[in-house]
Amino acid sequence: MMRKISTIISNNRRFLPLTVTILLFFVAYAVGAWMYTGMRDPQVFLNLFRNSPFLLISAVGMTFVILSGGIDLSVSGVVALTTVASAALLRDGWNPWLVILLMLVMGMVLGATMGAFITYLNIQPFIATLAGMWFARGMCFFISDDVIPIDNHTFLILARTKILIPGLSDPVSQTGDYISILVIVMMLVFAAAIYIAQFSRFGRTVYAMGGNNGANEQSARLMGLPVNRTKMLVYILNGFCSALAGLTLCITVSSGHGLYAQGFEMTVIAAVVIGGTMLTGGEGYVFGTLFGVLVTGVIQMLIQFNGKLSSWWTPIVVGLLTLAFIIVQSLLAAQNARLLASKKVKRAEVGLPSDAGEAGKKKPMPFARQLLVFGGGALVVIVGTFLVVTNGQRNANGLSSTTPIQNCQSQPFRQDQAVTIIQSGAVLAYERNGGPNCIDELYAIYPDGRIEGDNGSESVKKQLTPEELDHLLSVIVARQWFTNEIYDTYHTPCGSCYVYYISVSYDGKQKTVKAVDGGTDAPANYWQVVSEINGVIPKFTSP
Amino acid sequence: MKTLKSTQTGRKIVESKLFFPFVALALILLLDFIFIPGFFKIETRAGNLYGSLIDILRNGSYVMLLAIGMTLVIATGGVDLSVGAVMAIAASVAAIMINPTIIGVKLPPDVMKLVFDPNFTYSPLWEVILVTLVVSMVCGLWNGILVAYGNIQPMVATLILMIAGRGIAQLITHSLRIQIFYAPYAFIGKGWVILPFSLYIVAFVYAIAWLLTRKTSIGLFIESVGINFRASFYSGIDEKKVKLLAYIFCGLCAGIAGLVASSNIQTSDANQIGLNYELDAILAVVIGGTALGLGGRFSLLASIIGALVMQATTTSMYAIGVPASAVIAVKALVVIFVILLYSKQVQSFVRKIIGQKGA
Amino acid sequence: MVESNDQIILMKGIHKNFPGVQALEDVDFALRKGEIHALVGENGAGKSTLIKILTGVERQDKGTITFEDKELLIKSPQHAQSLGISTVYQEINLCPQLTVAENILIGREPMKWGNVDWKKMNSRARQILEGLDLKIDVAQPLGSYSVAIQQMAAIARALEISSAKVLILDEPTSSLDTHETEQLFSVIRKLKNEGMAIVFITHFINQVYEVADRITVLRNGKLVGTYDTAGLPRLELISKMIGRSLTEYEDMSKVKSDVSKHIRGDALLQTKALGRLGAIEPFDLVLHAGEVVGLAGLLGSGRTEIANLLFGIDKPDTGSMVYEGHAVKQFSPLASINRGIGLCPEDRKAFGIVDDLTIRENIILAIQARRGWFKHLNLKEQYELAERFIKLLNIITPSPDQPVKNLSGGNQQKVILARWLATNPQVLILDEPTRGIDVGAKAEIQKLVLSLAEEGKACMFVSSELEEVLRTSHRIVVMRDREKVSEFGGDVDGRKIMQTIAGSES
Repeated sequence: MMRKISTIISNNRRFLPLTVTILLFFVAYAVGAWMYTGMRDPQVFLNLFRNSPFLLISAVGMTFVILSGGIDLSVSGVVALTTVASAALLRDGWNPWLVILLMLVMGMVLGATMGAFITYLNIQPFIATLAGMWFARGMCFFISDDVIPIDNHTFLILARTKILIPGLSDPVSQTGDYISILVIVMMLVFAAAIYIAQFSRFGRTVYAMGGNNGANEQSARLMGLPVNRTKMLVYILNGFCSALAGLTLCITVSSGHGLYAQGFEMTVIAAVVIGGTMLTGGEGYVFGTLFGVLVTGVIQMLIQFNGKLSSWWTPIVVGLLTLAFIIVQSLLAAQNARLLASKKVKRAEVGLPSDAGEAGKKKPMPFARQLLVFGGGALVVIVGTFLVVTNGQRNANGLSSTTPIQNCQSQPFRQDQAVTIIQSGAVLAYERNGGPNCIDELYAIYPDGRIEGDNGSESVKKQLTPEELDHLLSVIVARQWFTNEIYDTYHTPCGSCYVYYISVSYDGKQKTVKAVDGGTDAPANYWQVVSEINGVIPKFTSP
Repeated sequence: MKTLKSTQTGRKIVESKLFFPFVALALILLLDFIFIPGFFKIETRAGNLYGSLIDILRNGSYVMLLAIGMTLVIATGGVDLSVGAVMAIAASVAAIMINPTIIGVKLPPDVMKLVFDPNFTYSPLWEVILVTLVVSMVCGLWNGILVAYGNIQPMVATLILMIAGRGIAQLITHSLRIQIFYAPYAFIGKGWVILPFSLYIVAFVYAIAWLLTRKTSIGLFIESVGINFRASFYSGIDEKKVKLLAYIFCGLCAGIAGLVASSNIQTSDANQIGLNYELDAILAVVIGGTALGLGGRFSLLASIIGALVMQATTTSMYAIGVPASAVIAVKALVVIFVILLYSKQVQSFVRKIIGQKGA
Repeated sequence: MVESNDQIILMKGIHKNFPGVQALEDVDFALRKGEIHALVGENGAGKSTLIKILTGVERQDKGTITFEDKELLIKSPQHAQSLGISTVYQEINLCPQLTVAENILIGREPMKWGNVDWKKMNSRARQILEGLDLKIDVAQPLGSYSVAIQQMAAIARALEISSAKVLILDEPTSSLDTHETEQLFSVIRKLKNEGMAIVFITHFINQVYEVADRITVLRNGKLVGTYDTAGLPRLELISKMIGRSLTEYEDMSKVKSDVSKHIRGDALLQTKALGRLGAIEPFDLVLHAGEVVGLAGLLGSGRTEIANLLFGIDKPDTGSMVYEGHAVKQFSPLASINRGIGLCPEDRKAFGIVDDLTIRENIILAIQARRGWFKHLNLKEQYELAERFIKLLNIITPSPDQPVKNLSGGNQQKVILARWLATNPQVLILDEPTRGIDVGAKAEIQKLVLSLAEEGKACMFVSSELEEVLRTSHRIVVMRDREKVSEFGGDVDGRKIMQTIAGSES
């Protein structure tokens, strides 16, 4: 019986990394559900998926690139460029579907350009895609320096439509557990990717090309495979995915800006690596990438629910986990290389006995040891995460936004004032701080529809009709404001990003949430609320 | 006979590593001279020099420092992506040593109110600098061990510190941006002694690096290891130690750059300091002619000129009026252009032309 | 016996030049259907160049190729493949992370409705392998199987791709044990019986006699001849490979002085049962001051392995070594250099020259490594050293600042030699120091080796040119099949050495 199990396992050894990741995800989620009641809500589980399209679509494309032995650092630039370009085109009145199509084509063209440099001019992928990232980001600022909001109807529908889950919701009252259209798109892309990877000649060539420090690519060429064509296609495919991910982002946050998705490429690579794909290429499964993304999401969720840690712990834990996977991968690879080298030892004439018995199969590394090495690494990280989470440090005090170097002096948050506003009976206190001009705008919305705002030098007023106020508040409630779904994602923002600070007091409930512009980790619903509020408040004339 | 000698010196000049970056720099400055009025104006204020040219030198000092260390790493056939993160770590360490109240160290009340005084520092400056540099060398040691002894690919190994390093810097400062008021510290980055003080630091580091690589056999060993590490091994060179040294030195340079950068803005900003600088450093080295991925022959001076080329491009773009954040698009094009220029196809083409002239 | 109109390939008058070396000179090669044709020769004989021309990787400078009675030019590897010429290289050029079935069929996988049909692919792969008498699970990654199996997969792919008419096997048994070699041989015998023409490149003489119908011998880029295996005794084969005819040895004049008058100094280096698993059987060897010990044997007999062990490139698994009376604990190049041992490696391109560095830098490299990082030789000292050896070894170069890659092979070898001479070693090991060098330089180096011995050093001289070994050695050690088999005095009859190498009586 043990023998049978061990044979099954050794026959499927290549699925080991994938299995570890999947287990990691379920274990992490189970522990979280045990520790925090909020995580037992099915909607929270579904939200893992709702918040993933951006990362998963991009990670799927990146999986192909890494499998082929390359790397693509341009994804964050392409994403940002997509958001800015779409926002700008929509602002100029272009047809939204045309914009979507155009963006996808643009992504593919950028991918093709970089692919050409890599394939035909022999420029290292690292450099070529880095240059691509810079170029794309730079182009954003030729279009616009500021955030461009999107209020196109189609895009808004794409963002806000709830797709109710049968069995967990009530279609009559439109309440219950749901996912969004973007999740459907994400699933389609994911399924298509799996199919391409496993069942198309292109996908198999991608697998053949990667790994072994380029030796496999050499072999693939000698085997007559269309290596150059495949390389180009891989980068074109990733360009497509980056553009699609960018569209997802700008739909979710209803805006576009060149500073969005900073450092995104690292998160994507981390998700791919955690999903079991070897960074050197050749081995890994697209299916694993889904779990890499989910694991990242779970880690973030755990940190959110803990509440005691600032959300910048997420990238640290993700980084550590990636590190653990990379180290284990490298150790296994080094060991395999040593085994391979020792196999090349010439034994023919020295009279050493042949490996009788095992019909030519080499002795695989003892299964127990492999599991130990791999599982041990993952276990260390899980344990570490929870130690950290439960003994977390105090949250950072309110920080003003980063001063762009030699630009403007950042203003402090007016937290006390916001609290006073709420205490004095306001329904909503909304503060927007930072940005390229270092502004600090604080608005108060009162139950009678009055809006009062001031930015330190100027004050504005507006009166909402009761219907408008009701609409605003009902949207806020519908967006799950007062549930566990909305949470702080505060981290030190990028140079020209805004920081949002919103307090809502309504129906006997009160909740304050902070988030940073350009962060890809805040829940989608939060941005819907921000966009809704931005739609009603009066604008200042001077900064 | 005469023509033979002059073509020989001609060829020597052209094939020297300094030739191309120098020409590139000259070209950019020439374009500046033609198209941007007042670019070359240098004025004196209180005995110190100011002007666009001085700006290029000053703003380029971070990248010049990084490039010096990065040159050695790339010459061994590797790369160090973590230098930006190490800059952030260095800045954080310095900040909390100067003003540890942020992380909860309690000071007696009469000292507490001095915290914002430009003359106050909790630890003496030499201690701050020493500890910071040691910490950054430890970062380099970490990278070096992973690459030389762990046999992990340099890109992957240094990627780890690149991701984790910023988190570590945040950890050190408890994710606060600490302002540094201590004046002598600020002098490092902002001070002027006729020329910006940071330039003297660059010159000093360059001198040390030059001594280390050309007046000892370390430079020769680095080149040998980069070109053919097996033959180097057979000749008795311990390539692991050589690589380790390169990474440690690179970490040191990053630490110094971090000190200069943070003193310039008098803040330790774990998120912003050094962001994207690793790329500038790598490109400076590539422009300076050291082959990325292969390693081998290197020239510190050429890398420094390469850093100036990058900075001159940036400053010129600003002067023309290109939006600040859009400049990196131009940088990207410069990068591609440079790499193509160094590619095999173009090199053999150029050599053919020169060869024909000398024939 | 096969009739000659079964000839499938005829190469005539092939010349091929690479910068600095004449790889092939007027070589003929004829291949028949349904035969196993062995191609043998020592290092530098030109075997791999000939095969590269046949497979379209290189183009010949002069000469013709006739394929199935049609004269043509083989333009590229794809062209060769389309003609039906399939090659399985020594380095298995497959992708270890893909499954066995994929490796055999990738690029031409069976498809169903536009997708890869895995089921069909696996069954087809199984079918092909059964044709080679191999039953394995084709759905496992190739890398999890032994080299022998991987090779079978490579052969399977080579056969599957084109309706292969010619199969070229380049050193296929290098990584196989006895049992696996037998399996391979039964496969190629089967293929031969089906009419395939097989070229079998190997340096294992026993295997040649076991399986080949005909043998073609190359030496120093020239064709020595093509023979029927049955009619060529082992001893004759070896003499054709490594030396002149047997009679010529008997009256060869010696360069070195009469051996009986030779004064031998103390034992400098002594090994006792020193061995390395899978590389070299435990051996005892003594090197005395003032003597040249020659190491004779065929390629693959373990000569380089001995050299590498003595110099510390490899670490031994058994036995011990004593140097100048002290037990050797540390096996590494630097430790050896410190002790006073030097090694001129066999493959100068891979392990010898640092090609972008100048002559001067290459020469001072080892001595600088010994001095460490900080005791730097200043430029003046470096130039002095370099000039001295350039003169001593007659290295032809306009200046010491030339990058070594610009030199001819012979001069490069001299630079390496200079590097080791500069360290003033007590024991100098030279592994094939005269390979790829012109005759004049060869003689210079041989003379140099002898003069080093006269100065009181111990030299070990490894070469596949038997006459060289005979000419320069005071004592000769003979290697065969990874084992030291004999030792002779320097005045031994060359014939005796060849018999020992061949392992047969005359």
